[in-house]
Amino acid sequence: MTLLSERLLARRARRTASRAAVAALLARLAPALLVCALVAAAWQVMAARWASPLVPGLADIGAELKAITLSGDAAVQIGTTLGRIVLGMALAFVAAFAVGLASARNRFARAFFEPALLLGLTVPGLVWALLCVIWFGLSLRTSVVAIAVGVAPALAITIAQGIEAVDPQLVEAAHVFRLSFADRLRYLWLPATLPFLLGGLRLGFSLAWKVVVLVEVFGLSTGVGYALNSAFISQNVAAVIAWTVAFAAVVAVIEYGLFQVVERRLTRWKRRALV
Amino acid sequence: MSSFLRFRHVDKTFVRPDGTREPVLRDFSLDVSPGELVALVGPSGIGKSTLLHLVAGLERPDAGTVEIESAHPDPRVGMVFQQPRLFDWLDVADNIAVAVKAASADIKRARQMLSAVGLAGHAGAYPLSLSGGQRQRVALARAFAIQPDIVLLDEPFSALDELTARRLRLLLQELWRDQEPSGLLVTHNTLEAAFLADRVVVLAGKPARIERIIDVRDTRPRDAESPLFFDLHREILAMLERGAI
Repeated sequence: MTLLSERLLARRARRTASRAAVAALLARLAPALLVCALVAAAWQVMAARWASPLVPGLADIGAELKAITLSGDAAVQIGTTLGRIVLGMALAFVAAFAVGLASARNRFARAFFEPALLLGLTVPGLVWALLCVIWFGLSLRTSVVAIAVGVAPALAITIAQGIEAVDPQLVEAAHVFRLSFADRLRYLWLPATLPFLLGGLRLGFSLAWKVVVLVEVFGLSTGVGYALNSAFISQNVAAVIAWTVAFAAVVAVIEYGLFQVVERRLTRWKRRALV
Repeated sequence: MSSFLRFRHVDKTFVRPDGTREPVLRDFSLDVSPGELVALVGPSGIGKSTLLHLVAGLERPDAGTVEIESAHPDPRVGMVFQQPRLFDWLDVADNIAVAVKAASADIKRARQMLSAVGLAGHAGAYPLSLSGGQRQRVALARAFAIQPDIVLLDEPFSALDELTARRLRLLLQELWRDQEPSGLLVTHNTLEAAFLADRVVVLAGKPARIERIIDVRDTRPRDAESPLFFDLHREILAMLERGAI
């Protein structure tokens, strides 16, 4: 008897706890969900006003979204595109950190890299996409290199700013206590520049997405860009929007589920303002 | 410990951004014996901190040499600054461990030093959750955990309230007695200089020269209330005031 009642109580407590957790999550996401709902409503009003196949309503987009999700097509193509983005970003990050650190710490390195970085910032992602398709053809290398080259300049400039913002007193302390280069990287430069790194990665992610879609449109037969191009050729506006929405949803999951969780975990040491 | 420190005919000139040259040290020589703590006092901007920076490797002499005699192939220099200068993203134990690892000293020392400075219960705490006095204790622990040949103290207690500073001076004295490194202490507090140091070097002029060297004839542990220190404090202060006119 007691055991049963205890078990019932425990189950109820668990259910209450999980319900509370869901409620807390919803409360946290409420503003974001609200803005999504407003945009969707505005879109629906516009679609109703136009009443044209070129501006499909929510129902048509929803149907396309359902079709690509249930067929597994969305998972495969978005997964493919994300894989290319992750590889390209990883390459960009390593290069950008090396260039950013050198530029911030050494006057010659700064003068040496600055023109290349400014040029890199100015060149549209489209140019990299075209050049890489021409040079590397239809391969993984095309997308990875195009993303890396497209993202690295902005990332390097952000990282250089982050390195410059590091407290010189800590740089001196690391020098006096003779930290090795690897230790300085691990215990000083990376953690001290974390807010800049995360900001740079977010910015880089959005740039990478734009570059990779172009590469996929021009030269690849898989990925979200390829799917978008197919939808474009068949004049299926609902499908174009459905693919965009599906990818945006995945990006939102990455932002809320990964970036923000990592950020909170890595900034536990910070003291929050009282007001 | 047989480590000691020698400045030999050191010249150092700063070049300001506008190109004017400011000689700070000219033919400066000073010996610090094994186990000795030498306090440097004198007006602001006279080059006391520059002397520490030369030992720490943060600056290089234009001429002359700074020699550290050590049992290790690579002399170990521990430094305590006016601010704790801890890595805020590492907990207290890791802050010390990073320095210990870099000096290839015994890693067990990190935890021992934490107990020695009375922070054994705070090993997992982040610096920003500690008080200013506790953070400076961590900085002391870091400097002594590497089994230093030389300890450099750059106004280590001047940012603390007097009560906390008193406690940390006694702690520093304990650590010094325990490990007997050689060292330099820069301070504007002449009573502190008299209480902590074996010799007090009074600097004056531009470029800086040694105006006087005062021996503090007392063994450790010392009694902070001893009239000896107050007498020396008045003597040094009077000297500095004369120099300032």
